Amino acid sequence: MTMIGLEIHCQLTNLNSKLFCSCKANYREFEINENICPICMGLPGSLPRLNQEAIKKATIIAMALNCSTPEKIAFFRKNYFYPDSPKNFQTTQLNIYGDTSVGGSGSIMVGDKKIRITRIQLEEDPGRLIYEGSSSKNQITLVDYNRAGTPLVEIVTEPDFETPKEVRDFLNILSDILTNLGVADPSLEGAMRADANVSIEGGKKVEIKNIGSFHDLEKATHFEITRQESLHARDIEIIQETRHWDDKRKITVSSRSKEEELDYRYFLEGDIPWIKMTSDIHEKLKSQMPESISSKKDRYVSKYNIPAQVADVLSSDKYYSDLFEESHTESNAKEVANIITTELMGLVDTREKREASKFTGKHLKELADSIQSGKISRNSSKNALHEILKTGKDLSTVISELDLGNVSDESELSAIITQVISEESQAVEQAKSNPQTINFLVGKVMQKTKGKADPVLTLELLKKQIGI
Amino acid sequence: MVTEEEIEHVSKLMKIEVDDHKEYVDKVHAMIDYFDILDSAGVESEEISMPEISISELREDEHIPFDEKLIEKLNHYKGTYVRAPKMSS
Amino acid sequence: MNLKISALDYVQEVKTGNISAEDFVSKTLEQIQNVDDKLHAFLSVNDKAVDQAREIDKKIKSGQKVGDCFGMPISIKDNMCIKDSKTTCASKMLEDFVAPYDATVISKLKQQDAIFVGKVNMDEFAMGLTTEFSAYGPSKNPWNIDCVPGGSSGGSAVSVSAFECVASLGSDTGGSVRNPASFCSTVGYKPTYGLISRYGLISYANSIEQIGPLTRTVKDTAFMLNMIAGLDPNDNTTIDNQNQDYLSNIESGIEGKKIGIIKEMMGEGIDPAVLSATKDAISKLESLGAICEEISLDMVKYSVAAYYTITATEAGSNLARYDNLRYGYDFPLEGYEFNSYISKARRNFGPEVTRRMIIGGFVPSAGHAGKYFLKALKVKSKLTKEINNAFQKFDFLIAPTVPILPFKIGEKIDDPVSLFLVDINTVTANLTGKPAISIPYAISNGLPIGIQLIADSNNDKSLLQAAYALEQTVSLPEVPI
Repeated sequence: MTMIGLEIHCQLTNLNSKLFCSCKANYREFEINENICPICMGLPGSLPRLNQEAIKKATIIAMALNCSTPEKIAFFRKNYFYPDSPKNFQTTQLNIYGDTSVGGSGSIMVGDKKIRITRIQLEEDPGRLIYEGSSSKNQITLVDYNRAGTPLVEIVTEPDFETPKEVRDFLNILSDILTNLGVADPSLEGAMRADANVSIEGGKKVEIKNIGSFHDLEKATHFEITRQESLHARDIEIIQETRHWDDKRKITVSSRSKEEELDYRYFLEGDIPWIKMTSDIHEKLKSQMPESISSKKDRYVSKYNIPAQVADVLSSDKYYSDLFEESHTESNAKEVANIITTELMGLVDTREKREASKFTGKHLKELADSIQSGKISRNSSKNALHEILKTGKDLSTVISELDLGNVSDESELSAIITQVISEESQAVEQAKSNPQTINFLVGKVMQKTKGKADPVLTLELLKKQIGI
Repeated sequence: MVTEEEIEHVSKLMKIEVDDHKEYVDKVHAMIDYFDILDSAGVESEEISMPEISISELREDEHIPFDEKLIEKLNHYKGTYVRAPKMSS
Repeated sequence: MNLKISALDYVQEVKTGNISAEDFVSKTLEQIQNVDDKLHAFLSVNDKAVDQAREIDKKIKSGQKVGDCFGMPISIKDNMCIKDSKTTCASKMLEDFVAPYDATVISKLKQQDAIFVGKVNMDEFAMGLTTEFSAYGPSKNPWNIDCVPGGSSGGSAVSVSAFECVASLGSDTGGSVRNPASFCSTVGYKPTYGLISRYGLISYANSIEQIGPLTRTVKDTAFMLNMIAGLDPNDNTTIDNQNQDYLSNIESGIEGKKIGIIKEMMGEGIDPAVLSATKDAISKLESLGAICEEISLDMVKYSVAAYYTITATEAGSNLARYDNLRYGYDFPLEGYEFNSYISKARRNFGPEVTRRMIIGGFVPSAGHAGKYFLKALKVKSKLTKEINNAFQKFDFLIAPTVPILPFKIGEKIDDPVSLFLVDINTVTANLTGKPAISIPYAISNGLPIGIQLIADSNNDKSLLQAAYALEQTVSLPEVPI
């Protein structure tokens, strides 16, 4: 029985400031060591100033993952020396004196499977090390502290995963939840990292660190399971240890055992009092939480009759559900959902494309309404969508500029139909004897109108003119 | 009993190179021995208490950059990096 | 020019125009020149002090609003950050460190037009009781230069006592303000934990330490408190003192107040002169209408062990940041690997700091935490309960500040445990967060004795009232410098 557990670190980059100081939480736009202050540099005499919003966001995450949230929250010091850690200790959370981290004992469903969340804690990210120099002899270590102090939420799961695919699915669901809550942006580079622990046949647990992406996580867990199974098959003992993922060689490698000797000397952080989280704070946070993904999905299906699979796509991606919420009405909901999941999706599948897109909820509503009212055909709506995405112009402008409007004027249409009939005498004869084949003629009318003919009206008039 | 090995182990942990372990052993030994008195305090059942603060008293989430180029006042190298010694592993 | 005046008198003299700030500060710097070679209170002197005083005189003359200090010269223990000034904590590890920001207490005093005449000596990183552990040499007691001035705020006490400044700010983790105040015959104050912001105070044991003033009179301490106490958003452990005025009604007396005499602080090992001075103080208080009675705080017996266990643990962590990478002293890292560089760089800590850090690595470590660190925390809890119970019955507690007289330099430096026990009367107030004050009470064979009063949390105002009452019962000889 394979058992995999995860330790996920997610940066709360949607916050404005770091966990203990007012430097920016999202450090990515700065020059080296530009986003620092005496506090996050741990200068002598500096003291942490806890970010109120970080506690709230972390608590919301805990609630969304069905965790219990304690009445008092505390911070601890984890003492170890490393150049990326200016104080040479990390301020983090532990549950030594009862439950004092932001959340615990939660769970989420991955398909039919329940994955238990052991605990959720707030802590600070260290700085970044950059290595220069070609060989280990002349290696120079450079440190950038812009990231030091960025708020992190650590989510620890029980070893409930049995396959790497379950892990991958879970991470996708978790990313969606975090994005939906508006607390983090997992698509940002380095914003979400995960370590795994793997054991087979109830044996010793092996920790795997240094996994760069979710894709690598799947690979790493797969490799590690295989490695352990092969040892087991040969009756070789699996040592409990920490291994790191070697991305070049695509294998896990045993880390120096130095880490095992480390004693973190955990104790309470004396500069931060315990934070009282009363029940009315919890109530308020709960009421401010955005609607959950599953709740949205249920609503889309039951209220608007949107097919389950479509509702799934809409609800799990905040970008789509936001668009949906902005643009739908009782009558056009299904159409809106359809446009998003068939036509729009392919055009905004990356973060850059979404940032560049000028297509808004207002546009979407207009488009859906216009298709429903016959102002524009579904075919033409694709072209319209492309154009609006690029230019942001409103629908009527685009329709007239690109001449996309449906030809629904009877006389105009009749004239075109007459022309087609005269050109396609053979098809007309066929249609008279086999009415099914009339679609060929409808197609020809479409061709002549560049797809803008109102199909219902076209069929009606064709039939009339042919006399069937 | 605090041995010289334990002193050596702890000084590695605390990243302080200690020249003459014997000198430290004697004094540290005496100090830690004195702490044995804690065993007779009879406090096993005591709870730890901590000061408390309510969430509203905590700092608002605002980005306020430090008003100076702090890195210029600290050790810097190759522009605005901080240099660390080479890492062993 | 009479330098031997209190802060309040100084302010009055300058306000009324009898003296100018420039003259007074000038004379103060002269005094420093005259005596500091012998006493070594100062690590650095502010060479712009006279210019700054001149500016304040200008402000006064032009009728502009002037801060409450009116250019009063104050010394600052060298573990508090003054922007663009060296801040060394009397350590070689911070030899070149220049603080890029002001501590909150410094900003507040700057706003009140105080003048920082220099940074004063201390035990390295505030770990010590005699200022002998300074990496820059010990300070001497102005009452007897063969004797220690106490510590760790030795330089603060010496500079106030020898008229090298009018007042000083020190820090008190286990008695480090009260102890040197007692040894040098000045007033020394440790406020309720959280009353004064620690932002900019270089941490030694952050869960129990406080900045505290050393002054010539109790009223001066109240005056200082008015300027520096209060809630600070930069320090989450500060409390709201509702802008309390500590000077008003300070003379309201002690009639009817109940005072508990702490049995465990008057016991074995106490110097007879200290015991007799304490008894004398008690009878003076009784004659003023106080009711004095003995009380036992059983946990005091374990308080020193608990104190050193807790502070070593916190110090081990608070001093971990000194790896000489971002700031510190000149020591190039070419050719070193990370662990060997830091370990070598940190050899620049003095022997006492090194010992404390080794202890601080040992007592909270996984194998030993239960026996030492966690037990110490429990002693702290129980002691707090005991003293809280005492304050159900008593308004104040009394004991000598230090059970012995100032001793010779070098006398206790090789006996750490004997040195520990000098703290036995003072650590309780730190462990329990209670305000405590040392008032100069007697001189015995030329050596000062201070009496300590302790009050319940947030009762700083009434503590100062009691201290004032006691202070008024004595008239002490002048320091023989």
